[in-house]
Amino acid sequence: MKKKLMSAVLAMSLVGSLLAGCGSSASTDSAANTDTATTTEKAEEAAPAETTAAEAAEEATDAEPVTLKWAIWDKETTAYWDALAEAYQAANPNVTIEMVDLGSTDYMTVLATELSGDGSDFDVVTIKDVPGYATLVQKNAILPLDDYIAADGVDLDMYAGATDQVTVDGSLYELPFRNDFWVLFYNKDLFDAAGVAYPTNDMTFDEYDALARELTDTTFGSQVYGSHYHTWRSTVQLLAVLDGQHSVLDGEYEFMKPYYEMVLNQEADGVCRKYTDLKTEGLHYSAAFSGGDVAMMNMGSWFISTMMTNLQSGEYDSSLCGNWGIVKYPHADGVEAGSTLGTITGLSVTTACDTPDAAWEFVKWVSGENGAAVMAKTGNFPAVMNSEVQDLIAGLEGFPTDAESKEALNVSNLYLELPYDANCAEINSVLDTYHGSIMSGEMSIDDGIAAMNTEVQAIINK
Amino acid sequence: MADQASAVTKKKGLSRQTKRDLVAYSFIAPNFIGFAVFTLIPIVFAFALAFLNWDGSNPITFAGFDNFKQLFSDTFFKAALKNTIIYCVGTVPLTMIASLALAIVLNQKVIGRGVFRTLSFFPYVASLVAVTAVWKMLFHPSKGPINNILYTYFKVPLEELPQWFSGGLVLLSMVLFSVWKYMGYYMVIYLAGLQGISSELYEAASLDGAGTWAKFRYITWPQLQSTTFFVVVMLTINCFKVYDIAIMLAGGGSGELTTSATVLVYYIYQKAFMEWKLGYSSAVAMVLFVLVFVVTMIQFRGQKKYAE
Repeated sequence: MKKKLMSAVLAMSLVGSLLAGCGSSASTDSAANTDTATTTEKAEEAAPAETTAAEAAEEATDAEPVTLKWAIWDKETTAYWDALAEAYQAANPNVTIEMVDLGSTDYMTVLATELSGDGSDFDVVTIKDVPGYATLVQKNAILPLDDYIAADGVDLDMYAGATDQVTVDGSLYELPFRNDFWVLFYNKDLFDAAGVAYPTNDMTFDEYDALARELTDTTFGSQVYGSHYHTWRSTVQLLAVLDGQHSVLDGEYEFMKPYYEMVLNQEADGVCRKYTDLKTEGLHYSAAFSGGDVAMMNMGSWFISTMMTNLQSGEYDSSLCGNWGIVKYPHADGVEAGSTLGTITGLSVTTACDTPDAAWEFVKWVSGENGAAVMAKTGNFPAVMNSEVQDLIAGLEGFPTDAESKEALNVSNLYLELPYDANCAEINSVLDTYHGSIMSGEMSIDDGIAAMNTEVQAIINK
Repeated sequence: MADQASAVTKKKGLSRQTKRDLVAYSFIAPNFIGFAVFTLIPIVFAFALAFLNWDGSNPITFAGFDNFKQLFSDTFFKAALKNTIIYCVGTVPLTMIASLALAIVLNQKVIGRGVFRTLSFFPYVASLVAVTAVWKMLFHPSKGPINNILYTYFKVPLEELPQWFSGGLVLLSMVLFSVWKYMGYYMVIYLAGLQGISSELYEAASLDGAGTWAKFRYITWPQLQSTTFFVVVMLTINCFKVYDIAIMLAGGGSGELTTSATVLVYYIYQKAFMEWKLGYSSAVAMVLFVLVFVVTMIQFRGQKKYAE
């Protein structure tokens, strides 16, 4: 009997091990500390670290060789990492940039884990999203850059207000080098076939809605969807913040109602694909647009380079989507055209960095005009936008040749998809959850918005 | 004297039994050290963590029972708990019944028994990702054959076609899926149990004029008691741990679950690694642990009583 009980207890502890998965990987650090082998290893690691710290002090004066370890993702499929590193190394021969690819899927989670504890040796890290940025700031894993910015006189105005939205208690911990803003992609062939004039750079949401309906054809076999909304909450919820008076951090979300109504009505009338279908199929927006039956789609500017590359390589059928263009986002009544959403990708210097000055030089260079030129040449959108950069991008092969498309690159107001807030990761997941509930019809728009209000206010007032 | 004494103790310390033990320990050590470092210590730490606040980097602060108190007012935790329990209550008995029925049928001498056994076991072998993709096609809300049949032959209006992967039906889809996927595995376990029952018992029962039902009721079922206990415990544990099925069926491309499909393990992951509230998520994990522990203990007790 005793044996039986023992085996039951052992079985339970095994169950526990399976369940306690979350605690376990988080605690490996402290667990490892008890391991003597690791402690000695750490001591060995610490010794050279001290010497490099001493070297770092000298480095400010002469150009001694420095190696910067840089956290990135998707090195193979993203053109600009290598381009930026090579250009910087060419300009600064004493610096070696060592890139570490953490993969894009869980990049910020992996990075936060890497920077937890004191075993990290990254010098510069790429910041993929704002919740991840908030995490790193709260973990004290990255350095405030204010002193450097002041000392080197970096003009933050060139980032069109984006940096203000990621300032934490008056301090800035990252500088953006890439900025993707949202535009409206459209398929010119579908407009021509329907005999409808192309969308313009100055449309209100009502005009946009009417245009989408005009293009829609629900005939079986030759369907045309006037619009397409990917399953992200950004595609619907964030249309509402473009008036500049509301923010997703407000805790009051009634202002989103008209936009949910517009999209759900479009869905009901067959103007766009159904959210539940998209969710079940996992249909990627690029597949939807390149399939040639979507007339208009709101998406980030990163899709511009995807379109250009894949049309050139023949991966997308140019008879289906080869004739495309972009225009500025539609806007609410009485709001300036060109207000749009943006997502910045930034660079930060880690607190664990032994050569913060050298790391800062790299961050400043990449996020400044030098880096911007490199970015633009690879067809990506740098955070520093000026007419030169616009000309560069619009002049790339495969970019739509009409004047409207080039003009669409002019952004008047940029609102980040998620501005910084200490609780933005939590708020983000609440908004994501109820966006799903509203779009899949689990909740009415009113109920969903009421639930967002309650839950987000609970987070804010905690 | 003193030397002698120490020599004695030395000898005692290295007695044959101790030596034998040391050899045994040295064989166990590699595995046990791994288990201790990667499983045992983290489990103990997770217990402690439930009473602390920690984000993985900043100093740990003491939270007392705050994490547990917060659970009561947490909408998402309550939804996850409710969904997990509903999923378990649906899956455990259904899988057990289905696998037992399959085992009994396929234990008889039917033609093509081997083929059918393999077929029933196949879903268990197939990759979860692949078969969820197939299920998603079959149950696709507008293009799937299931809804097409409902629309064409049962005249269900277009707007009323069931949304299998959202709202109230998503848990049902999850239950059906896991019954289908795992019944083959438990069928094999039941088959082994069935083959362990002596055929003399059935012969004796036949002589006494027992029918099929009576044989099942008085021979098969009691004889399978320990198998059933094992099956139910494993099923319960696996059900409470559910994560992959929910993510694959209801998560869509981005792997986000709404309140109608969220489960405890998903919530633990979200709290721990998306929001870095390791203390709070450990508290949720403790709730899960206690749940599984209590359910298993009840079954354990019940089985013991039955055996006596």
